[in-house]
Amino acid sequence: MTSTPQARGTLAALSDDLASAVERAGRAVVAIYARPRIPASGVLWRPNVVVAADHTIRREEGITVALADGRTVAATLAGRDPGTDLAVLKLDDDAGAGTPAELGGDDTLKAGHIVLALGRPGTDVTASLGLVSVSSGEWRTWRGGKIDRFIRLDITVYDGFSGGPLIDTGGPIVGINSSGLARGQPVTIPNVTVRRVVEQLLTKGRVARGYVGLAMQPVRLPQELVSALGLPGRTGLMLLSVEANGPGAAAGVMLGDILVEFGGHAVQDPVDLLAALGPESIGHAVRARVVRAGAVRNLDITVRERGGR
Amino acid sequence: MTATGNAVAHHADVGDALATLAARVRAVTVEISSRDGIGNGSGVIWDGGGLVITNAHVARGRDSVITLAGGGTFDAILVASDPARDLAALRVDATELPTALIGDSNRLRTGELVLALGNPLGIPGAAALGIVYHPAACGPRGGRWIAADVQLAPGSSGGPLADAAGRVIGINTLIAFGLALAVPSRAVMRFLQRVRDVSPQPAWSAS
Repeated sequence: MTSTPQARGTLAALSDDLASAVERAGRAVVAIYARPRIPASGVLWRPNVVVAADHTIRREEGITVALADGRTVAATLAGRDPGTDLAVLKLDDDAGAGTPAELGGDDTLKAGHIVLALGRPGTDVTASLGLVSVSSGEWRTWRGGKIDRFIRLDITVYDGFSGGPLIDTGGPIVGINSSGLARGQPVTIPNVTVRRVVEQLLTKGRVARGYVGLAMQPVRLPQELVSALGLPGRTGLMLLSVEANGPGAAAGVMLGDILVEFGGHAVQDPVDLLAALGPESIGHAVRARVVRAGAVRNLDITVRERGGR
Repeated sequence: MTATGNAVAHHADVGDALATLAARVRAVTVEISSRDGIGNGSGVIWDGGGLVITNAHVARGRDSVITLAGGGTFDAILVASDPARDLAALRVDATELPTALIGDSNRLRTGELVLALGNPLGIPGAAALGIVYHPAACGPRGGRWIAADVQLAPGSSGGPLADAAGRVIGINTLIAFGLALAVPSRAVMRFLQRVRDVSPQPAWSAS
């Protein structure tokens, strides 16, 4: 390959660059055998640590990982976070396993960027080409996980795509792809989120979430009440169920109360409450404002860890 | 949009190069219809002797009509067919046709650009851009296939899959799991070699 890009032509040069980017990033892309039928993809995030899409891990025992160099090694599930659809596997084989990922910056992706999605749904790396269709701010998944950027892709999703990396045409990995977070549509979990979740999963085996033991539904509040009580919005969350001896019940929350504020923030949708129940909230008393019988009451709810014993 | 003058010029390069590439591949792409005039697929003008390659499932009868990109039509005769590999060779009585540059499918790399030409849904000469998903995928009916992340539709069958230099590296044949599957150019050459072995004086040779 001694010819200049001009001599080879613009398209041939672009084509070579795409193939080389796939080859380079593909060394860190692995196949994960943890479900029936077709394997899923994963990324060798650092030596012996593989990141996968949580929804593709269908069994917790007998997981194997096929590396780019052709070896298949056993892996142990170190932790999983359905909220962000990420899981972390540790390779059992400590003898220098593979080439870890080359990770790119986090805020470089814009709508319109040309990107490649890589996968390894078997022995070989595969790739598809597309565009970033949306790149915007932080969002909450339908399962309550916090993802630092909303990156949606205009790209075709093939079997085994989830857990594979998104790369830009320069080559470094910019995030992990999943089709399990937006009704089958492809989105990318950016590196910044993957790094945070991987740390939490490696230390605790899970991403801790706060829990208040309340079920609720949004309700419209009468304008007179909003004005009279100086409420933050026209919508509140009516409590439909209060778990006996749960954190809410212990704070004196009653069925039928309408939650309007939590930790100083207006809550108009259950997602607003989930957003306030991150790992940092656990163990703290959080001020809740509820409307009961036409008056506002302040109750301090001590948040517990979901699933905690 | 805040693109600089340079970026615009660079993009114009890519756009022009794509248009040139599509025109070059389109020139060797034909539409193949049965005698009753129903369009049912695409084909590639493989050499200067009037040899057209398509899928066996496109060239079903002995006689068909091919339409060039420029609009001219020719009667074509089926000279060989391999239903297992889904390839067929047709002969037209013409020697001045533009002919395809043939590439080596064994040298394809995952991620490289590919262009599919054909008559998807009856739209003559439609081009679709994509990349190689896997250069030698296992597919239906055994054999190896070029799997491409490129959009095909009924009517694309038999048309060329070309690389960024305009070389034909496969014959678009199937859509499976959303992927385009093309018979590699190497398999086409083996098919033609088998035909020549059986009949040393090929039916399409200019005599």
